[in-house]
Amino acid sequence: MVVPRLGMAAYATELPIRPDLDASHSEIAARWAATGSWWSGMERIAIVGEVRRARDSEVLPPWESPSQVDGLVAENHLLPTAAVDAIWRITNHPGTLTAEWHASIMSRGISPEAYVELVGVVAQANAVDRFADALNLARVDLPEPSSVEPLRLADSSTAVTSHWVPTAQVKGPNVVKALSAVPFEVDSMSLLSSAQYVQLGDLLGDLVSDQNSLTRMQVEVIAGRTSKLNECFY
Amino acid sequence: MLLGLSGMNQDSQISFEAIDSSQAGDGGVENGALLSRLCEAMFYEDADDLASVRDDVIEIAGAEVLVDAVAVSANFYMMTRIADGTGTPLDAGTVEPSAEIRELVGVNNFTSRR
Repeated sequence: MVVPRLGMAAYATELPIRPDLDASHSEIAARWAATGSWWSGMERIAIVGEVRRARDSEVLPPWESPSQVDGLVAENHLLPTAAVDAIWRITNHPGTLTAEWHASIMSRGISPEAYVELVGVVAQANAVDRFADALNLARVDLPEPSSVEPLRLADSSTAVTSHWVPTAQVKGPNVVKALSAVPFEVDSMSLLSSAQYVQLGDLLGDLVSDQNSLTRMQVEVIAGRTSKLNECFY
Repeated sequence: MLLGLSGMNQDSQISFEAIDSSQAGDGGVENGALLSRLCEAMFYEDADDLASVRDDVIEIAGAEVLVDAVAVSANFYMMTRIADGTGTPLDAGTVEPSAEIRELVGVNNFTSRR
């Protein structure tokens, strides 16, 4: 997959944002605009745009989908309504997701692998925009999307074994395995996590070293408090 | 759970207070309550609360800590959505060791438990 290098800073601010952190957000934005495995560059940028709309709109209760609200989803929307509904729910109510909800999205015509890619992009957009919003910065600009169509080739070696979604036979924590049906999104997750949290190799291998200006225990307090606020059992 | 492992690796006396609430104390972690308060402000997105806690973090811990702490918290808006969006189960080796911690932190009643 070709990801154009933008070479521009993601943020204009006097805050001391580390160069590697700033560069990771620029690169993620470029990856959003690249052709995916299942979604085109235009569709991937539309997914990010829909995350932003979900966050900036009045929050719907979890049982109400945007496609059920008159005028909220345009009839000529680039994305299927099932995708739009999934984006809003994952963005605003991640702690309410159930296997039944996932099955209902699948039954509306989203392929399992396309859903995995969508979860990856939605999750990244939530992280990158939350960072900017919390520091009162302008959100990263969205680049021009690639016009190359995705191949949409399923990997026959993936299967539904431990998660709701198909996964590959890979080692590591289950949350890393979660996106393994779409390796490009695993790489994007690793890119962000390495800049914002800890290098994946240090997750359990080094529990004592400071991470930039924070002690590892401070890092884990923040991780734990944020996960609890988001009602994430994992 | 990694907070507990990190504390054990450093022979530190830590608790899970700051994960529970910013009102509960530091939990043995430097500025734990303040960082917990930052996480809460990021979650609830009240502009005044956010501005206030940003100022406090800069004054007490410095601007680098503010940026790095916001980055860590923001990262878990990604990880939680990946875990919850894909039905990610607990890792096999963590179910038993984390049982007491999960009870202490109070996550066993979450819908996302599976």
